[in-house]
Amino acid sequence: MDNEIKAQEEAMLKDIASQLPAFGKERGSLIPILQMIQENNAYVAPEAIKMVAEHLGIPTCEVYGVATFYNQFRFHPPGRHHIKVCLGTACHIRGGEIILENFERKLEIAHGETTPDREFSLERVACVGCCALAPVAIVDETVHGHVAPSKVEGLMLGFRIEKEKEEREKQENESGQ
Amino acid sequence: MVKLIIDNKEIEAEEGKNLLQACLDNNIYIPNLCYLHGMDNPPASCRMCFVEIEGEHKPVTSCTVRVKDGMVVKTDTPDIRQLQRTALQLLLSVHDVDCAHCPANKKCELQRIAKFLKVGLKPKRLELLLKEPEIDDEHPLLDYYPNRCVLCGKCIHVCKTKLGQPLLAFARRGFYTTISFYGEKPASDLNSSCKNCLACVEICPVSAITLKNDSDQIAEA
Amino acid sequence: MNLASNENPDQLFSAIYEEAKRRRNAFKEADVPKIHIGMATCGIASGAIETKNAFETVLAERKIEARIHTVGCIGHCYAEPVVIIDNPGFPPIFYHQVTPGKAKMLVKYFLEKGDPLFEHLLGAMEENDLIPAVTDFPRFRQEKRVVMEKCGLIDPEDIYDYIAEGGYLTLVKALKLPPEDIITEVKNAGLRGRGGAGFPTGKKWELARTAKGQQKIVICNADEGDPGAYMDRTILESNPHLVLEGIAICAYAVGARKAVVYVRAEYPLAVKMVAKAIEQAKDLGLLGKRILGSSFDLEIELFRGSGAFVCGEETALIQSIEGNRGMPIHRPPYPVQNGLEGQPTVINNVKTLASIPHILDKGATLYRETGTEKSPGTAIFSVVGDVVHPGLVEIPMGVSLRTLIFDICGGIPNKKDFKAVQIGGPSGGCLPADFLDTPIDFDSLTQAGAMMGSGGMVVMDEDTCMVDVPRYFLDFTQNESCGKCTFCRIGTRHLLNILERITRGEGHEGDLEQLEHLSEEIKKGSLCGLGKTAPNPIITSLMYFYDEYEAHIKEKRCPAGMCRPLTAYYIDLDKCARGCDACVGSCPVEAIFTTSNRKKGVDQSLCVKCGECVVACPPEYNAVMKVSPPDLAPIVERPVDD
Repeated sequence: MDNEIKAQEEAMLKDIASQLPAFGKERGSLIPILQMIQENNAYVAPEAIKMVAEHLGIPTCEVYGVATFYNQFRFHPPGRHHIKVCLGTACHIRGGEIILENFERKLEIAHGETTPDREFSLERVACVGCCALAPVAIVDETVHGHVAPSKVEGLMLGFRIEKEKEEREKQENESGQ
Repeated sequence: MVKLIIDNKEIEAEEGKNLLQACLDNNIYIPNLCYLHGMDNPPASCRMCFVEIEGEHKPVTSCTVRVKDGMVVKTDTPDIRQLQRTALQLLLSVHDVDCAHCPANKKCELQRIAKFLKVGLKPKRLELLLKEPEIDDEHPLLDYYPNRCVLCGKCIHVCKTKLGQPLLAFARRGFYTTISFYGEKPASDLNSSCKNCLACVEICPVSAITLKNDSDQIAEA
Repeated sequence: MNLASNENPDQLFSAIYEEAKRRRNAFKEADVPKIHIGMATCGIASGAIETKNAFETVLAERKIEARIHTVGCIGHCYAEPVVIIDNPGFPPIFYHQVTPGKAKMLVKYFLEKGDPLFEHLLGAMEENDLIPAVTDFPRFRQEKRVVMEKCGLIDPEDIYDYIAEGGYLTLVKALKLPPEDIITEVKNAGLRGRGGAGFPTGKKWELARTAKGQQKIVICNADEGDPGAYMDRTILESNPHLVLEGIAICAYAVGARKAVVYVRAEYPLAVKMVAKAIEQAKDLGLLGKRILGSSFDLEIELFRGSGAFVCGEETALIQSIEGNRGMPIHRPPYPVQNGLEGQPTVINNVKTLASIPHILDKGATLYRETGTEKSPGTAIFSVVGDVVHPGLVEIPMGVSLRTLIFDICGGIPNKKDFKAVQIGGPSGGCLPADFLDTPIDFDSLTQAGAMMGSGGMVVMDEDTCMVDVPRYFLDFTQNESCGKCTFCRIGTRHLLNILERITRGEGHEGDLEQLEHLSEEIKKGSLCGLGKTAPNPIITSLMYFYDEYEAHIKEKRCPAGMCRPLTAYYIDLDKCARGCDACVGSCPVEAIFTTSNRKKGVDQSLCVKCGECVVACPPEYNAVMKVSPPDLAPIVERPVDD
């Protein structure tokens, strides 16, 4: 398992190294580069920060300083399913916090955390701009409007069924071989 | 040279000179934390050096004003003093006031300003908000104390001036903003570049950056 | 200097315009039904993709020829997914909440049999004898669409759709005018910046034009960060070319050859639409080198923000484009003198730039006919929260809050009372019912203690706590403070902590004075607009809802029943129906138990006060009660053998 993660990380860094030359070496490239890394890998690893600093010829601490300033960048790998609960004004008034708590309770993690099995990560976000559908949650890339605690249950149940199905298929495949 | 009036006193200064500097040069003290002589664009982040200028309807930070002929400035109005006191009280509300164990004791800029503004070092009206961890000891040579730091940024400025590229930077955001030495530089490398310099340690107005074990020695002494 | 000189842009453009007309006529005159589906973010979130798939499947199954036309957002968010069907022989008809099932029915009954399904339509898009027109509704009648005129009617991914509606014609006109004339026209129109502060746009352009610098830059600020506001997103997703045309005219007027569209990271669809629009405009020679044969060059770049509210502040925005932490810097110098790359930079909001083509096309005099003397033109609001018809509304400046909330947006749902309206997001304030007759314009709103802001409006009913609302906004600003200056970094944190204590029932004497004092000082002492306006929600709520603060502090009671530590749910045993289990299953934490006489009770130690049981309890019983302070709830013991 550890080897698998290590191999993944190496592949990721190799990929970043191959992408960097496409970006200019001026300071203005810093945020677009960090965005590229975040989007391709869902997080910015410490090793990647160092590579960016080398590419732009600026101190590592500056890259770190910029990356930690913006909400978009994560420094730990997220879960396989990423859940964002909107806490914009309209969502707040319509009980967004209750929805967030429901996810926290179901997943047994706080927002900003990833479950130990790396299946789920949970995040609170400020306004995704779908206020008329409040409260809103974004599960992976899908926007869910008018979320109620019962809908949270439904979503989690859906994931569990999907996962069980996957495992069953995996077992069947293995036993078939 | 132009003439301007500060607190009813006429002074002369070069046109375009930094107003805060002009006041300090004429022995008119204005509390300040983030300003350094020779800065092109002072950050104006500590929000201490407020003055009132005739013609402006709001207090302005003197470090961002350039001297003009005939300018009339007041540094000691009740409004100004109240703003400065609030700023200081806010800084002290996130400050671990433990002067006896701090190397900055007696030469600390916060102590000086508190004395000047007649503000107690332990304000009672605001809740004390301290951060964890107490010490960031990742640097091989230096320790950083977030609960002493006033985030004036002078350390970054001097490091950058000396080395061209700073070895420390602001990191994180908002209330959690901090000074970070984050980097993958080998300890030996940092050791050699930092050991002979220590400009950040010297410039820090509150001893938030110290040589490792420095404070322990004081406590023992 | 007249940048456009050597060739006549008219001739080059007329070929493009003819092509657009040809395509439009071919689409219009085709003797098949056209189905327009709103596919902006709200539409997609409401299921527009599924609806579109359903249409496609059923049309194929039943072998019916029809054209599907994907459009942006028409602003009627309550009605999403929105579909307009243009069936030959009928006027175009607006259908609301078109689920895949409804889509199938519409094909079967309307397209095949000519039955427009009256029960599902909202109205016809034009006057006719058969179907009531949508203009009978106040929502449609009282709106005045200038910037959003084409939103939801044209395909944002097709530049020809925009050109066929007269798009880019104003740019052609502009290229033939001296830049100074354009600035004069914008000044005469009295256009004020729609980003919130209301600075005169023409004046800003003039300052940039006359400022010294090697080159000049235009930035379109689409870093729309106010929670509860999404006008800019909708415009970019629904009509990106309108914004590009506005940028191009601005660049020509101020003498810029470079422009940047700064879009919020959280708006992936808007990013996609703008990127595509830039490419298409370049392909047709409407952007890039020697635009329409003139000597005017303009490159427009797209920059994505990385999630920092403070980057809506113009100096912070520039910092982030330059690859730095988005920390504002002291003004002056203003960006219009010394901005991006040290060059004079005009930064205008999306709505400001999107107003430009209209102003130049119709002229300043006509533009001024809408709106008020000091705030001409229209205002776009996203009206959300407790209203019957939430969505985007474009109204003439000067319309009263009452008209907007009650007539246009249908008032408060569920027979609740109006309590307050929050305008201007984290920098604005909450206005109570006494202010409902305030006209909506820059100066009146500021005078009342709120502010125009960028146009977020959240309507709140009687169940909203006016201590919790400022707490929410302070939580937001405190989180988004850049941390540079003392007042904002530490001061807002103290404000938040005090408000949190009060909403938990731990407030004490002196808190309100402390809130007032700190608020005033933060306003005065902060470096940038974020800090200077952060205390506004507290200041206005203290001004208008002081008694609610006092109830929290002195009686440990939340009058609105919103602060959860100060409320409790219990089940009225007289109303509870023996044997009914509706609430039990709804409770996410199993706090509801069965009493010895087969009724229900709430275990207060487990209850998380989510209110699901209130929803689950059948209306004929209505047995779940909410009280504040929580000790008003009768104690019902759980049976021992349970």
